[in-house]
Amino acid sequence: MSYSIHFGQIVPFIPYLFGGAWITILLAACAFVGGTSLGLLLALGLSYGPRQVRAGVSWYVSFFTNTPQLVVILLIFFGLGEIRYFISPFWAAAVGLMVAEAAYLAQIFSTGFASVRRTELDAAVTLGVPHRQIIRHVMLPHLMKVLFPPLANQFILSTLYTSVGSIVGVEELTGRALNVESQTFRSLEVFIIVAAIYFALTVIATILLYYVGRWLFRIEAKVF
Amino acid sequence: MLAAAHGFAEFFGYYNVILLLEATGVTVALTVGGCGSGYLIGFGIALLRVKRLLNFSPVRWAAIAVVEFLRRIPFLVLLFLVLFGFQASGITLPSVWIAGTAIALRTAVISSESIRAGIESVHQNQWDAALTMNIPRLSILRQVVLPQASRVFIGPSFVQFIQLLKSTSLASQLGVIELTYAAKILNRRGFSAVLCYGFVLIVYYLLCLSVERISRRLEARYAVSRDQRT
Repeated sequence: MSYSIHFGQIVPFIPYLFGGAWITILLAACAFVGGTSLGLLLALGLSYGPRQVRAGVSWYVSFFTNTPQLVVILLIFFGLGEIRYFISPFWAAAVGLMVAEAAYLAQIFSTGFASVRRTELDAAVTLGVPHRQIIRHVMLPHLMKVLFPPLANQFILSTLYTSVGSIVGVEELTGRALNVESQTFRSLEVFIIVAAIYFALTVIATILLYYVGRWLFRIEAKVF
Repeated sequence: MLAAAHGFAEFFGYYNVILLLEATGVTVALTVGGCGSGYLIGFGIALLRVKRLLNFSPVRWAAIAVVEFLRRIPFLVLLFLVLFGFQASGITLPSVWIAGTAIALRTAVISSESIRAGIESVHQNQWDAALTMNIPRLSILRQVVLPQASRVFIGPSFVQFIQLLKSTSLASQLGVIELTYAAKILNRRGFSAVLCYGFVLIVYYLLCLSVERISRRLEARYAVSRDQRT
């Protein structure tokens, strides 16, 4: 059986695929923003909280870094459907990814909090700097510089993880690729194009984040 | 939620337990087989990329292009590409082997980066000293460079192993009867979804946790310390 590659049949569907890329970016942004908020809270609990909070948070982080996101999303989607609370696939995927991302982000944030230099804090306290200004002028610039590269990396990884949403039916890039594939049967061509679009997305995101880091936080990090 | 409590006893019936055990076996076999072979391939790719070993640029650039492309696509897309690639070339393989090939490719690409970092972390002086002692180059690699390089790449390698163990859940899309697919089967048989997927989640957690414990013990003994305070 020989299979000849024809891209011509896929070309009319390319705008449809770009629409899917937009949904991918939306889903990744939702998951990342929600994950950052939750992860920040968890990291504060992990670094500065009492013993029970620290134990609970480290269990949460350990649980969600050691379980696949797909099963979490399936659990949310089908489990909520069982108790008759129907949510859309997009939100099931977003919440599942959010909850899993928060675990990774909590690790990143707590590492950042641990990197604050004790001597700087002691010097600021000795100089009589008020507490809020210590956080704003001493801790935050240093934290932003330390945290930005891993956060940028995690954002790019989260755009790649969103493809899992296609399994519960989210119409993002992989989901739309499966739709086009079921219509035209040009499976290899569609997925080559979709892989190229994902690659382009990650490269563009890496370059944009590099410039954001350079202009906002003056981080001189290597891109490739 | 009451449905979960009701079906709990029947969930652990004889045939269900056999299904879950076989599915766990498939998951572990996919990960170990895929990661093992992928590691060897990744080692080859890393050797191609280290400048002091092979100074032939076109091969190096081809390796860089392949690695950078395959790293930046989602695993699900890679899985489907491998599946449709096999279909287009006419090779018929069972789905498990196709999933194993995709996992091996993914592991090869990711591990080549960490192995390359490990090999390049060994100082050039080690190479030069060994060369002046007239040790054959393959032996230098095996007995001088690799033991020192392995201290650097053993930590990331276990992290990647755990990531690949979690990624095998995507192989359920190919029809491979591993843990996630077993959960889907049991859900279709009528058991509560919370029970099925929750149980499978716990099994994944236990599997990954044991690998993490092993890796922590190995890292404590062999690896370069990543703790910034020591």
